[in-house]
Amino acid sequence: MRERFASGFDPFVIPFVIGMIFVLGYCLIAMVRVVCQLPKADRKRFLLSLITPKYIWMNVRDIFLNCLIHVKLWKRNKVLGYMHSSIAFGWFMLIVLGHLEVMLFVPERIRFFYYPIFFNYFVAETEQTLQGALLMFLMDFFLLLVLSGIVLAIIKRFVSRIVGMRRTTRLSVLDQVGLYSLWAIFPLRLLAESFTAHISGGSFLTIPANWVFRQFLGNDLNALPTWWAYSIALCIFMCVLPFTRYMHIPAEMLLIPMRNAGIKIRHPRKGFALLEVYSCPACGVCIDACPMSVRKANLRDCTVYLNRMLRRGNERRIAEISDKCLLCGKCSAVCQVGVQGPELRIAQRERRKFALSPSYADLDVRPMAEAVAGSGGVLYFAGCMTQLTPSILRATGSLLDKAGVSWKMMDPDGGLCCGRPLMMAGRTEQARELIAKNVEIIRASGCDTLLLSCPICYRVFKEEYPLEGIRVVHHSVFFQELIAAGKLPVQREDGLRLVWHDPCELGRGCGIYEQPRAALAAAGEVVEAGKNHAESICCGGSLGSLSLSFEQRRPMTQNALDNLTVADPDQIVTGCPLCLATFVRAADRPVRDIAEVLNEHC
Amino acid sequence: MDFGFKLSPSSAVNLDTVDRRRYDRLVQLQPDALTCIGCGSCSATCTSASWTGMSVRKVLLGLQRGRDEEVDKMLSGCMLCGKCTMVCPRGINTRQLILTLCRLDKNGEVVR
Amino acid sequence: MVNRQPVVAVIGAGIAGLEAARQLAALGYKPVLIEKSSATGGHVAQWNRLFPDMTPAADVIEPLRAQTAGVKTLLGTEISAINRLKDEYNLVLSDGSSLLCQAVLFATGFRLFDASKKEEYGYGIYDRVITNRDLEHWFNTREDQRIRQPKAVGFVHCVGSRDLKAGNTQCSKVCCITAIKQAIEMKEEFPDAEVYCFYMDLRLFGKKYEDFYIKAQRDHGIHFIRGRVSEVGEAIDGRVVVKAEDTLNGKPVKVTLDLLVLMAGILCNPDAQRYARETGVAVDEDGFLKSRDNLAAITESSRPGVFFAGACTGAKTVPETLAEARSAALAIHQYFSKRV
Repeated sequence: MRERFASGFDPFVIPFVIGMIFVLGYCLIAMVRVVCQLPKADRKRFLLSLITPKYIWMNVRDIFLNCLIHVKLWKRNKVLGYMHSSIAFGWFMLIVLGHLEVMLFVPERIRFFYYPIFFNYFVAETEQTLQGALLMFLMDFFLLLVLSGIVLAIIKRFVSRIVGMRRTTRLSVLDQVGLYSLWAIFPLRLLAESFTAHISGGSFLTIPANWVFRQFLGNDLNALPTWWAYSIALCIFMCVLPFTRYMHIPAEMLLIPMRNAGIKIRHPRKGFALLEVYSCPACGVCIDACPMSVRKANLRDCTVYLNRMLRRGNERRIAEISDKCLLCGKCSAVCQVGVQGPELRIAQRERRKFALSPSYADLDVRPMAEAVAGSGGVLYFAGCMTQLTPSILRATGSLLDKAGVSWKMMDPDGGLCCGRPLMMAGRTEQARELIAKNVEIIRASGCDTLLLSCPICYRVFKEEYPLEGIRVVHHSVFFQELIAAGKLPVQREDGLRLVWHDPCELGRGCGIYEQPRAALAAAGEVVEAGKNHAESICCGGSLGSLSLSFEQRRPMTQNALDNLTVADPDQIVTGCPLCLATFVRAADRPVRDIAEVLNEHC
Repeated sequence: MDFGFKLSPSSAVNLDTVDRRRYDRLVQLQPDALTCIGCGSCSATCTSASWTGMSVRKVLLGLQRGRDEEVDKMLSGCMLCGKCTMVCPRGINTRQLILTLCRLDKNGEVVR
Repeated sequence: MVNRQPVVAVIGAGIAGLEAARQLAALGYKPVLIEKSSATGGHVAQWNRLFPDMTPAADVIEPLRAQTAGVKTLLGTEISAINRLKDEYNLVLSDGSSLLCQAVLFATGFRLFDASKKEEYGYGIYDRVITNRDLEHWFNTREDQRIRQPKAVGFVHCVGSRDLKAGNTQCSKVCCITAIKQAIEMKEEFPDAEVYCFYMDLRLFGKKYEDFYIKAQRDHGIHFIRGRVSEVGEAIDGRVVVKAEDTLNGKPVKVTLDLLVLMAGILCNPDAQRYARETGVAVDEDGFLKSRDNLAAITESSRPGVFFAGACTGAKTVPETLAEARSAALAIHQYFSKRV
C-alpha cells in the first residue's frame, strides 16, 4: 500500500477525533468514578482481582462471550442473538483488522488513532495486497456482517415480534439520535469505501459498488462528502453515547470484571448500582418478563424504566417503581447483562428516611428458647405465612411422623418473623435484630437440621443466618430425599397430573427446581407450565411489593394461573404458603402444597 | 401536703382537641385506611401482637383518638411479616400503611 | 307471534321459581320450570328450620310443591344456550330439546361460598370445622361423624361475605340471623355446651330478629364476641383453636372448640351469570344480576321479556323472595297485557 497524502491528514477526520476523545474521556472518568465510589474493601477486592490470573481469564472469556458474541442472547432467540453479535463482533473485527492493516502497511501512522478507521481514504493500492485477497476480503466480509445485523435491527424496530419480543422499550429522544446515527455509520462506511475502492482497493462488496457508482457518478469529488458523512455519523454516535442506552457497551466491560470479583450493590446510586444502571441496554426483555406487565398501567414499572429514571434522577418515579415491584427476580433471570432489578430496588428502599423505626432488642425470646431447648434432630420453623395455611402445617407434621423423623416445631404458638419481609422493605438493620433473636432460639434447640415450609423464610435463613453446622432445608427437598432413601413410601396415583409452580424465592431465589419435581413424580405425572423453572411467573401475592393493592394483583394471579394450566393438570402444586393462599382464591382447580400431595399418597 | 392520691386529668377523649394531623396525612397518602371496619383480623393474626401488643386496628383508632404514644409503641414492634395484609377483608394494604406511618413525623409531614 | 297462552321459562325451581310459577299459572300463563338438580325446592329444601319462628322448611316447600304440581317441570335439566329472537327466546336444553318462550324469569338463586377457599379456617382439613349447610344437613339427617357431643361450639360470621379477598364484598344479609338460629339450636341440642358467635357487625334488621338475638343472650347464654376469626389451629387433642381479637376489649382471644361452624356467604349463581350474558342482561358490580331499577323495578331487567325473582339479584330472606316472586309474576302479567 502506498500513502496518498504526505500529511496523513484531512479535515474530515476532525468530527471523529472529537467524538472519540469525548467518549474515551467520558468513559474513563465514569469508570474511575464508579471504582472510587466502591466501599474500600470492595475496591481493594476488585483491583486485586484485576491482577489475579484466574480472574483475568474469567474476565476475558466473559467479555468475549457476552459483549461480542452475546451467547446469552443466542440462547434466548437466534435472530436477536445474530443481530447483536453480528454488529458487535463485526464492528470489533473491523477495528482490529483496521489496526492490522495500518501496522502491516503503514506502521509509522499507527500513532494517528483515526488512521485505522479511515485507512481506505489515506492509501492507494499496490500489488502488496494481492488484489485484496485476504485483508480486504475480511474487511468487506465483516462490513457485510454488520450491515446484515443493521438490517435486522431496522426490521426489529418495526416488527419486534419476529425476534420473539412482544413489547420493546419506548426510546427517549437521545436514544433515537444514537440509534439512527448507529444505523447510518455502516451504510455510510460502505458508500465511502466504495467511492475510493478504485484507488485503495477493495473486495467483493466495495469493488462492484465502486464499479456501479462510476457508471453514472464518474466524479471523484463524491468521495470526500461521504467520508465526511461517515466521520460525522461516528462523531454523533460517540458524542451521544454516554447519554443513551449505548453506554451499556463500555459499562458492561467494567460490570463483568466487577461481578466476577463478587462486588454487590452497597449504595442505591453509587458504585456498582451506578454501573448496573449504565449497563442496561434498554432492550426491554424485562418488560415482557415482568409479571406486572399484564396490566397496561404497569408497563413502565419494570427494570428498564427504573434504570432510565435512575439516570434521569426522577425521584418520584424511582420511589414509585421501587415500591411497586414484586421482587420476583424474573427481570434479572432474563436480563442479558445481568442487571439485578430486585437488589437495585431494595437498595432504593433502604435509602428511605423514617421518623420511627421498629426495634426488637427488648424482645425476650428465652421462653421460646427454653421450649425447644435440647430437642436436637429436626427443628421445623413454620413461619408466619404457614400459620395461615393449616393444611401445610398438618401435612408436613404428618409426613415427618410417617418417615420416623425426630422433630420439634419451633413456633407452635407463632414465633418471630424470619426477617426477610423486613429486608424486602429495605429495613435491613431491623431484620438483623430479628435474625439474632431467631438464631438464639435455634442454637438453644441443638438441632442439626432446620426445616422450612416457606421459601421466603428459607431464603433468608440460608443467605443471612449464621447457622454453621446446621443444615437449612426446604421441605420439598427434605421430603424428596426421604422418598429417595425409601423412608417415605409414596404411592404413585395413575392418571394424576400435577403441575409444579416454582415459587420465586425457591426457584430463582435459591435455585431449587428439580427436587420438588422429583418428589412429585413419586405421586403422579408431573407436567410443565408454559413458562417454568427460572422463567416461572410470580403468583402476584409476593411480599416484595409494598404498594400494589389486592385488586391490582388479581390480574397477575390470573395470568400466572393461565400459564400453569396450559397442560391442563388436575392439581396445581406449589411449595410456598403465600403462593398457595394467593392461587386458591382464584384457581379453577385444586391448589395444593407439595406436602399435602405427598402426605395423601403415603 | 400529700393526701395519698392526686387528681389526674380525665381519661375521656376530647375529640375537639385531638391532634389528627398524622391520621389526616396518612389517609391522604393511603386512602384505603378509611375503609377499616375494625374487625380485628389484623390484631388476631399479628406475629408481633403477643410480644408488643401491635394491632393495626388499634393504630388506626389510636391516631384518631390522639393516643400517639401508644401508636408509636405498637408500630415499633411491627415485623412487616404481612399476615395482616393477607387477612384484611377490606383488602387494605396494611404493610404499606405501616411503612407510610413510620415515615410521618409528629406534624404529619413525610420525613426527608 | 304470541300464543293465546304465552310460555314463561322459569329458570330454577327453588322457592322463587315455584312461587312465581304458581302465580303465573293462576294468571293463565304457561310457566315451564327448568331445574338443574333432581328435585325442586332449592336451598330452602335442604334447610331444617327457618328463622324467626323455627318453622320447618318443609312447611314452606311442601305447599309450594303441591300447588305447582300441574306446572311442567324439567328436572335435571340445564340450559346449554339461550337465543334471542324477536319478542321471543329460544332455550336450548341439555336433553337436546329446545323451548320457545315469550318471557324468561331468572329464579336462579345463589351459590354458597366454598369455605375451603378460606385456607386459614381449615375447612376440609380439620374434622371439626363444618359449614352452616353441613349443620342443617345434620339437623335433618343426624348423619355427620364430625358432630359428637360438643362441649364448645363456635360460629364464624361473614365467611366469604364482606371479604374482598374471597371475591365478595357484599353482606350476605341472612347469616347473622342464621348463626343465631343455629347457635340456639345447638344450645338446645347440647345444653352444657358453651356457644360462641364471632361477628364483625351484627345485622339483625328483620321482623323479630332482635327478639331472637335477645333470646340467644338471655335464655341461652350464647357468647357474642366482636372480632373476626383470623386463624384456626389444631390443639394436641385434635380440637380446634380459634384465634380472634375481642375488639371490644382490645385483646386477642383464643378459644379451644369441639366444633366450628362457618357461616358461608351468598354469591350469585355462576350459571346465572352465563345465562345473563346470553340473554343480554347486565351483571352488576357485586356479581349479581342487575335490575332495571333497584327501588321501583327490582324484578325487571333492562331487557323486555326478561325478569328476576329472588336471590339472583342479591341475598334475600325467604319472605322477601316469595314476595318478589309474586311481584315478578305480576310484572310479567303486565308485560303481556301491554303487548296484547
